[in-house]
Amino acid sequence: MKRNLYTIFYAFVLGVVCALVPTIVGEFTAPYREANARAEEVRNIMHVLDIPIKQGITSRQLVDQFESTVKLRKKGNLQMYISYDTVDTSKVHAIAVQFSGSGVWGLIKGFIALDTDMVTIRRISFYQNEETPGLGGEIGTEWFQNEFIGKKIRDDSGKPGIRIKRSGARGPNEIDGISGATLTCGKVQSVLSSIIEVIDKEVGFGK
Amino acid sequence: MTHCGACDGKGKKTFKDGVLDNNPIFAQVLGICSALAVTSKLETSLVMGIGYVFVLSLSTLVVSMLRHTIPHRIRIITQVLVVCVFVIILDQLLKAFYWEASRQLGPYVGLIITNTLTLGRTEGFSIQNKPILSLVDGVGNGLGYALVLAVIGTVRELFGTGKILGHLILPATIYTPNQMMVLAPGAFFGLGILIALLNLTVLKPQGKKK
Repeated sequence: MKRNLYTIFYAFVLGVVCALVPTIVGEFTAPYREANARAEEVRNIMHVLDIPIKQGITSRQLVDQFESTVKLRKKGNLQMYISYDTVDTSKVHAIAVQFSGSGVWGLIKGFIALDTDMVTIRRISFYQNEETPGLGGEIGTEWFQNEFIGKKIRDDSGKPGIRIKRSGARGPNEIDGISGATLTCGKVQSVLSSIIEVIDKEVGFGK
Repeated sequence: MTHCGACDGKGKKTFKDGVLDNNPIFAQVLGICSALAVTSKLETSLVMGIGYVFVLSLSTLVVSMLRHTIPHRIRIITQVLVVCVFVIILDQLLKAFYWEASRQLGPYVGLIITNTLTLGRTEGFSIQNKPILSLVDGVGNGLGYALVLAVIGTVRELFGTGKILGHLILPATIYTPNQMMVLAPGAFFGLGILIALLNLTVLKPQGKKK
């Protein structure tokens, strides 16, 4: 009995100590970690907006560069990151919107950047996904994301949405899917279509 | 100088065992999962290696200091808990001050907890030996592990991309980089060949004694 009590007491004390130490370290490193996480987010937005990022700059410098070149504007449920022309700073360069939704295994998160017409895709990135590596996970790769460049977010008749086809993508809003990743492609299509609906509702195309 | 008292004269041998004679990867064949996963580049290999020395040496030291107080029945979970503390600290420090490496290492920092080598040292050595000697054992094994990681990392980065630490060493005119070395098969072949070579040369006399 005495030994049992000792074991329980020991486990309790050790548990408390072992929880306390990482917490203290966590508190101390929190500002640095948050700055890095913010820089990572900023890097993603700047990438889709086609803003060149200087090599080897610190997290803080990157956030500064972001804040001086990109403005955040809200319209209803839509958060838009707007970048301006480097020469004529009153001219809009591109508009980025974040999206997220469920994939096959987990959350898919990304940014989509549109040209000033609010219809043509400038760039897209799926910076977070838990799809099957080698199959659905390919949505995180450059080649798949490059397929979206220059595509429209509505079809010829003006109906909003993106279609990921098994093969033979021809229309302005059609994209060639990934072989072996039919489910992921379907999920991506619905994630994108729901954000496109929001864009259409809040800003309208070219309005 | 006499032997350091705290080690009872076993310090040097314990250290050499860890680094070479009983090297965690080559001789004990422990912890090879992470050795395969993080060695596609020298930089990540070095960060992982140094981080591992930090975690293992402090874990072995603390477990050894607690060894007389730990209730026998919960000794394994106690050891895991101690290891967890240092792994979390390492992970937080990397995220705060070395974000790039932390991102590339991904889950493998956290997986140090389940690295067989870690528990192998705390349960197999620290629980029976004095703190300073356990620390020597931890540092030795950690360095032995880090050394192997660095060697595999160098080989894979050099033959996979023609670079070392991002600097071009073998231009495409001399050597065409073989992508396979960076991918998983490169890790298996690289590690397998290195273990074979070391067993044929350095570790051979040890094998004969048995």
